[in-house]
Amino acid sequence: MSNAEERDHLDDYLKNARAWLAEHAPKYSGAARKGLTLAQDRDLGRQWQTLKSEAGYAAITLPREYGGGGGSEAEKIIFANEEAKYDLPVEYFGVSLGMPVPMLLKYGTPEVVADLVPKAIRGEQIWCQLFSEPAAGSDLAAVTTKATPDGDGWRINGQKLWTTWAQFSDWGVAVVRTDPNVAKHAGLTYFYVDMHAPGVEVRPIRKLAGESEINEVFFNDVYIPDSYRMGPVGGGFKVAIETLMIERYSVSSETMGGVGVDYLLKLATEATINGRPAIEDGEVRAFLADTVIERQGLRNIFRRAMEDIAHGREPGPEGSIRKLLMSVRRQNLALLAMDVLGPQALIHRAGGDAQADATLAWIESAPYRIAGGSDEILRNTVAEKVLGLPQDHRPDKGIPFNKIG
Amino acid sequence: MGETQEALQFITDQARRLLTEQATPERLKALLDEAGGFDRELWTKTAELGWCAAAIPEEQGGIGLGWEALCQLSEVLGEFTVSLPLLPNTLLANTLIAAGEGDGDVCTRLLSGEAVATLAITDRGAAGIPAAPAARFGDGRLSGAKAVAPFAAVADFALVSASADDGVAILLVDLGAEGVTREVVNVIDNGRAMAQLSFANTPATRLDGGEGARLLSQLACAAAVVTAFEQVGGARIALDMAVAYAKERKVFGQAIGAFQAIKHNLANMYASIEVARGCALDAMAQLEAGSPALVPYAAAARVGASKAYDFAGKECIQIHGGIGATWEYMPHHYYRRARSLALELGAPSYWRDLLVDNVHMMAEGY
Repeated sequence: MSNAEERDHLDDYLKNARAWLAEHAPKYSGAARKGLTLAQDRDLGRQWQTLKSEAGYAAITLPREYGGGGGSEAEKIIFANEEAKYDLPVEYFGVSLGMPVPMLLKYGTPEVVADLVPKAIRGEQIWCQLFSEPAAGSDLAAVTTKATPDGDGWRINGQKLWTTWAQFSDWGVAVVRTDPNVAKHAGLTYFYVDMHAPGVEVRPIRKLAGESEINEVFFNDVYIPDSYRMGPVGGGFKVAIETLMIERYSVSSETMGGVGVDYLLKLATEATINGRPAIEDGEVRAFLADTVIERQGLRNIFRRAMEDIAHGREPGPEGSIRKLLMSVRRQNLALLAMDVLGPQALIHRAGGDAQADATLAWIESAPYRIAGGSDEILRNTVAEKVLGLPQDHRPDKGIPFNKIG
Repeated sequence: MGETQEALQFITDQARRLLTEQATPERLKALLDEAGGFDRELWTKTAELGWCAAAIPEEQGGIGLGWEALCQLSEVLGEFTVSLPLLPNTLLANTLIAAGEGDGDVCTRLLSGEAVATLAITDRGAAGIPAAPAARFGDGRLSGAKAVAPFAAVADFALVSASADDGVAILLVDLGAEGVTREVVNVIDNGRAMAQLSFANTPATRLDGGEGARLLSQLACAAAVVTAFEQVGGARIALDMAVAYAKERKVFGQAIGAFQAIKHNLANMYASIEVARGCALDAMAQLEAGSPALVPYAAAARVGASKAYDFAGKECIQIHGGIGATWEYMPHHYYRRARSLALELGAPSYWRDLLVDNVHMMAEGY
């Protein structure tokens, strides 16, 4: 397709997606979710997922024969952007379809793929990603959960942490240590596991704002057949990195689900500080200007990346600043909005919409700066991968894992 | 790649090659050392290559590459801390063309580079661009003072804002005319050919057709957008220099670029520059399209680029350590240029104000 044809095609795609969402999304979003328990909300999400799969809007880049959309990366991003405008119960499937399922497509046998992938795309089953551990977060290769050979398969023992939606998951992908006698990156292997197998125990963790999508997962002598292995023994780190690279361009709302420029602008116009309109306050104005500038810069970066993706080019490295800036901004913007609101901002209305409530946005904002790459790790990534600066000093480099002090 | 894109690529490649050769540290330092410094030889060379006519439509005697050409050339100038009056010459030529004076001698001389223009729209004692300038215009005569302005030290013509009975007037002033005082002053960045102009009953030609306020805003915004590219170009080189030094300089047995205090500072510089570049590109699109919503986009580009450059300029010196604060090394050129570009068109605080007041004009969503 020529550039113009591609643009026309994407314009049409956008138009159709908008119309489809306008017709169907209201029945599954906003008021339809009010008062539901987490499990009920998840079930509503399963219905939404199935409906999308039938219309080709679920897992847009995955093959149509498995219930995906058979579409392009650009279409996926366009749809996700539009979908994010509704408050839909899609969060339960983000991890599931984002990373584990594409990996299964690559490493699973044809029979397994034909059986499990459609169920995941339709939302009938959910997958989780068992990577982090109590002592392995930013340093993923430090995992200690181990798999030891047992007949035709493996026995898994250990503990995973921060596992998103493990409590609802039917399957998970896991990075575990199969050889402690070699350097830490070299001794890892990647498997998928049945979350209903005997010995798997999931305990939800209550986060600071009360939400509980994250869990700790214990493996007590869990048996898995060797056919659940994805990639070679000892090749787990490489496969894990591959997983993390799948989401080339993460899609999320500009405010990362918190309050944004429009909220602060409206608030500052209505509220007063010591009798004067808050919008006349120097700090408020400076912060608003900074926020708009950052938003505009990131919008341009996003659009350029979209263009690149649409034409099969690798987007530039500047996209790597997106998550870092947005998560820091989300927290600071909510904090300033609370300042403008004054003491009444202390009232915590749990279960509300953080896009319209500065207090909720603030309290939920802290983990956004940690999950999916902490501020510090992301700055390291920019410095090392984009600017080519040397790696941090790593005293454990090349040392067998079981010799690291 | 389209024909225009190829021509743009050609002209910027040519610019980088030429400036790599011409903009030597010795030459740049010599310019910094004398008040009103201007590289006339380089200006003539680039004028012959058509740089100052790049953005002007072909039917008006230009090359017809649009604002994008001026923006890209400005980015190159910024990279080398080279100052050439491409922007004021283009703005004055454009204004003359719009006023029906495109065929005149002044416009022709501006496009050939034979004449140099300066943009004098800021006042002494005002942080921003005054909507009611202190200088007065009436009966074809201009009186009053303007703030220091780049290229005023060597300009033949000035595009000046003044107050008339019916509001803001935008004027063409021949700087060879009677009553013009040109005071060349020592500034932090003498490579900008700065001078402060004042006028006493100086003959001036009004160019705004009674739309002075609108034209002033348009000129200021166009200047802000083009300058944002110059700032991004300079900031990027300040970052590159700092990165290169951080890789090479060793202390405590390792390159300083391995320390997170340095790495994270550089990552933050990178982020602010990329944000600024994004804003500048979007503002350029608005400028090229003649959008009525240009003001907030231009303001975002200006503030974003000013902040990014000031940040990169000062941290570049910091990362270099003591050597970065010497005359011999290049970082101080960027440190100076960052401040100069941030203030010449009105301080970032003024533009920040414009941005907040006009943010509602910006598009919703992507």
